[in-house]
Amino acid sequence: MSTTPTPACDGTRVTAYVDDALSAEDRAAVEAHLASCPACRDQEAFERGLRQRMRTLPVPELPASLEARVRRELRRRPVPAAVRWLPLAAGIALAVMWGRGAAPFVAWELARDHAHCFARERLKSEVWTSDSGEIAEWYRQHGTELPVLPSAAGGVELVGGRFCPLLDRKVAHLYYAGEKRHLSVFVVPGPARFASGFVTRTFGENVRLLHTSGMTLALVGEDAEAVDAFHRALSTSRADASSLSVPAVVAR
Amino acid sequence: MAIGNIRRRDGVFPRGALPHSYLTREERFEAEALPHLRALYGTAYRMTRNAHDAEDLVQETYLRAFRAFDRYQPGTNIRAWLFTILHRARTDSFRRQSRSPQTVELTGEGPSVPPSQDALAAGGEEIVRAMEALPEVFRSAVVLRDMEDFTYDEIARILEVPVGTVMSRIHRGRALLRSALVRRSA
Repeated sequence: MSTTPTPACDGTRVTAYVDDALSAEDRAAVEAHLASCPACRDQEAFERGLRQRMRTLPVPELPASLEARVRRELRRRPVPAAVRWLPLAAGIALAVMWGRGAAPFVAWELARDHAHCFARERLKSEVWTSDSGEIAEWYRQHGTELPVLPSAAGGVELVGGRFCPLLDRKVAHLYYAGEKRHLSVFVVPGPARFASGFVTRTFGENVRLLHTSGMTLALVGEDAEAVDAFHRALSTSRADASSLSVPAVVAR
Repeated sequence: MAIGNIRRRDGVFPRGALPHSYLTREERFEAEALPHLRALYGTAYRMTRNAHDAEDLVQETYLRAFRAFDRYQPGTNIRAWLFTILHRARTDSFRRQSRSPQTVELTGEGPSVPPSQDALAAGGEEIVRAMEALPEVFRSAVVLRDMEDFTYDEIARILEVPVGTVMSRIHRGRALLRSALVRRSA
């Protein structure tokens, strides 16, 4: 014999009835329906029987090693993010330490600083003077020895100076200014790797790096001729004051 | 070390009387969560249908639960919480394999349903086989209800679906089991 559900049957509600998931009102309604519907009574009987059978089914055997495996995994400390990134951070630090001394990087930093300082409406200066002896004295009092510098050369003359912070160091920044041209002379402490001289154009500026009397000197200006002329004047003043030695600069 | 007792320098505390503040996070987690290992594995096995995947799924579940343990509120239903994580881990593994559990939603009852006695005459193994042949959406709902005895509300939270969906999945799952068992015995 087979029983056929009628349109009045709601099998889902019968399921919920078996699972005791109905409100009292719905439960009563389903009970009333069950009393008159063999098909739904059959469904109810099947589902109750099935639930009972399911509870007695053999449980999958727990692998003996699983608990130990889970415990082991839990005890294994996750590597903290800081440690995971350590090799990368160390790599970056090394690259930065090496890179900060690279001549192109130093040149780029100085060109940026030159543009930054001269872009200001009012030049920021800690000392105002057009006398190279006077400014050398001021820097000496502030812990930096300057080489012998011309007070004026290549159409620019000394106006003052200050200390400028770069990314990784502080440099002495001397301002030279002329009609529509500016020139910076930097005394750069710390590493700057290049052979005898380094000439480049970066950040829109002409940059010249020189080693002189154990320090690194840099000339930066937008006008290549002014930089050239200033460099020649510097060599001359070196000849005048024998303390200064400017090596030949790589030809551009 | 038995799950039931946690040894500390200052003594052994029976489970249920754990002075939580004395325990490390791992110890608290193990004491609360590991007693449900067998049930989780049983359900994982029913879902994946093989021991290897079930073990991986259970391990993934415990790792996730441990990482999220700070968000678990002590005293609430940890069993349901663990099953929720199990289900999520299962769904994610499907997503990784870019398949999805079959989402067949059957409509209609079929014209004629054979009497229940025929279906229930099936042996335990036949029931297991019929269960394994069910689409996973129905299988997990039936397993959570009929084997783990969760309420509809709990199952709704575990599967992250509305209660109405739970109800209809259990209904469809059982109806499919019934036809499968009848076909077997016929």
